[in-house]
Amino acid sequence: MTRHTWVRLDNASNIFLAARSEADPKVFRLSAEMDHLIDPSLLQEALDITYERYPLYHAVLRSGIFWYYLQDSDLSPVVTVDYEHTCAPIYQPDRRTLLFRVVYFRKRIILEIFHALSDGTGALWFLTDLVIEYTRLRYPDEFTQLDTESDVSGRSVSETAEQEHGLTVDSFAKYFRKPSRKVTDSAAQFAGHAAPVISGILARDLSSSDKLNAPIRSPHSSGRKIYRVKGTRTPDNRTRAVELTMPVSQVLALARAEGVSLTIYLTALFFEAIRLSSGGLGEANTLTASVPVNLRQFFPSTSPRNFFATTRVEHTYGEGKDDFTTICQELEAQFREKVTPQALEAKLRRFIRLERMPALRIVPRILKDVVLGLGNRTNNRGLTVAISNLGLVRLPEPADSHLGRMLLQVSAARPQFCSVSHAGMLAVCFTSPFTELGHVKEFVRMLTSQQVEVTMAVARVTEEELVGAGP
Amino acid sequence: MKHCPDCSVDIEGEWTSCPLCGAPLSGTSTPSPLPAIPLSFSRRRVFRVLFFISLAVILASFLAQLLLSHGSRGIGTLRSVWLGVSAMWLVVMMAFRKRRNIAKGTVYLVVLISLVCVYWDYLTGWHRWSVTYAVPAVCTFSIIALMIATWAMHVEVDEHVVYSGLTVLFGLVPIVFVIFKWVTTPLPSAGCVLLSVIALLYLQATKWPDVRHELGKRLHL
Repeated sequence: MTRHTWVRLDNASNIFLAARSEADPKVFRLSAEMDHLIDPSLLQEALDITYERYPLYHAVLRSGIFWYYLQDSDLSPVVTVDYEHTCAPIYQPDRRTLLFRVVYFRKRIILEIFHALSDGTGALWFLTDLVIEYTRLRYPDEFTQLDTESDVSGRSVSETAEQEHGLTVDSFAKYFRKPSRKVTDSAAQFAGHAAPVISGILARDLSSSDKLNAPIRSPHSSGRKIYRVKGTRTPDNRTRAVELTMPVSQVLALARAEGVSLTIYLTALFFEAIRLSSGGLGEANTLTASVPVNLRQFFPSTSPRNFFATTRVEHTYGEGKDDFTTICQELEAQFREKVTPQALEAKLRRFIRLERMPALRIVPRILKDVVLGLGNRTNNRGLTVAISNLGLVRLPEPADSHLGRMLLQVSAARPQFCSVSHAGMLAVCFTSPFTELGHVKEFVRMLTSQQVEVTMAVARVTEEELVGAGP
Repeated sequence: MKHCPDCSVDIEGEWTSCPLCGAPLSGTSTPSPLPAIPLSFSRRRVFRVLFFISLAVILASFLAQLLLSHGSRGIGTLRSVWLGVSAMWLVVMMAFRKRRNIAKGTVYLVVLISLVCVYWDYLTGWHRWSVTYAVPAVCTFSIIALMIATWAMHVEVDEHVVYSGLTVLFGLVPIVFVIFKWVTTPLPSAGCVLLSVIALLYLQATKWPDVRHELGKRLHL
């Protein structure tokens, strides 16, 4: 018998297990829309090839006495048509099942992942490889010999790469556990062969590192009441998903006119949409947004495991100027201050130190789950919305030209959006545990009133909507 | 594509009114990129509630026995029926709950059944039938059952080895009963301990690296 390799679950991932709930199973979905209807048998073939390249994706999640751990398995993923709602639960305690699924619907290839396994960037690598393999099988004539031999996205399929996609690399431990001098050494050495494929801000709300935010929370948030969106839960606790697609150039022009980045522009727009749809914020006039930051852009890593931190930006209405430009500038300034390698490193070091404290290490896992869960709940009280921008995605040709928009959705404990740009189209996907779409309506109307051409798709969640869908 | 004149947005899929504002739409519909998934309801919550209610009822009925007089006279056969039903319910529930890992389930059952037997014996006047016969028998047969089950069901070593080890270690406990002279006849305990020692030696000889590997994983700090 071969003994399965295993690795302790990394730092950020533990929180996903503690914080998952029926409405928010901590699953995210990354979809790629092709220019033709998907051929399931070719997709299965492509998946088998890609799966071989990512040992991490073979992992099942198991629980030890003190920690969760990922363990290698002999399971094989099977492609199915999309028969479950967006971000349906994946991880089931006590069952050894894979922590991701690949499904298809019409023109879309969809990858859904339990967040403890990987983050948005890691998922994007997997989906990119999958799409390239699929295109290679679908349009063999378009691929030259050279393309067939070299690995996707320019990375070489060396043994090291295999290792880095594997179970062993926990980038948190790598960068933030050792003394800083060593870190810079290993960072420099690592940077040599680890070209970061995607930079930009990545996928995911989440709260793990938000706790760490507390000490450096901007002083003027203290004592402010933070607005939290309330609403009607969907009948079967599924995620309410709305997809907005628009030309990225049009929105980028609007962001540039305000002199801020696309992420900040969309966040400011989201704040306004929440305020307009709230029917008056009342006393709770501070809006906050959790924004994840891809740590790979500062600390190069090719590990597909979770490697991000979250920061928080906020705006209080009714104190000083509340016009759109001011909000944009304020958010941009907060973001710039928090997202620097130094600020992030200091924050994560504190967190890792806490995690490595001997007294805390011997706390049984069940208790850790309870404490983390409570911490997460407290933290949620300080958040109005969450946003995340995976940034601009580009695939190598000829796969790129067969791929239309790409979309990212995350199961949500609060209204949230995730955005990705590809093929000149920006997809902004709203998710929420509530059926109400007031904030999306305001968001859309603000964009369309500025002549942005927005296309929308809404997943049906209520009984009335599903009846309307016909047989 | 459908169009909402009020929101100035194009809408994919077959909608007759705008999902955002409810206004009637113009244009022709295009296929939705998202499937319409029927509502589903999870039975998990029902099961969870049932489990905790059952557990509470069983615990309460075990504790209630303490209020009744001890010894065989007490409430007589009624007590046996009551305890029997509660114990059966508990065993079935735990066996069902832990059905996904036969070895883990066995450990749970050995502990639960042994405790129930000892308690039952205590309630009915401490004739020591539990420590003399019941507990050694449960331990002995759980070891045999586990050996058969792991072999017949092709359970992977890493999945069962820790729990098998635990079951075998429980099999050594009856030696305590003999030493403290809690038993009326030492034969069942002796048999149980002997089997456990053999099983332990076997485990050590063949599966020791697996045991160490598994323990290292599960007890990782």
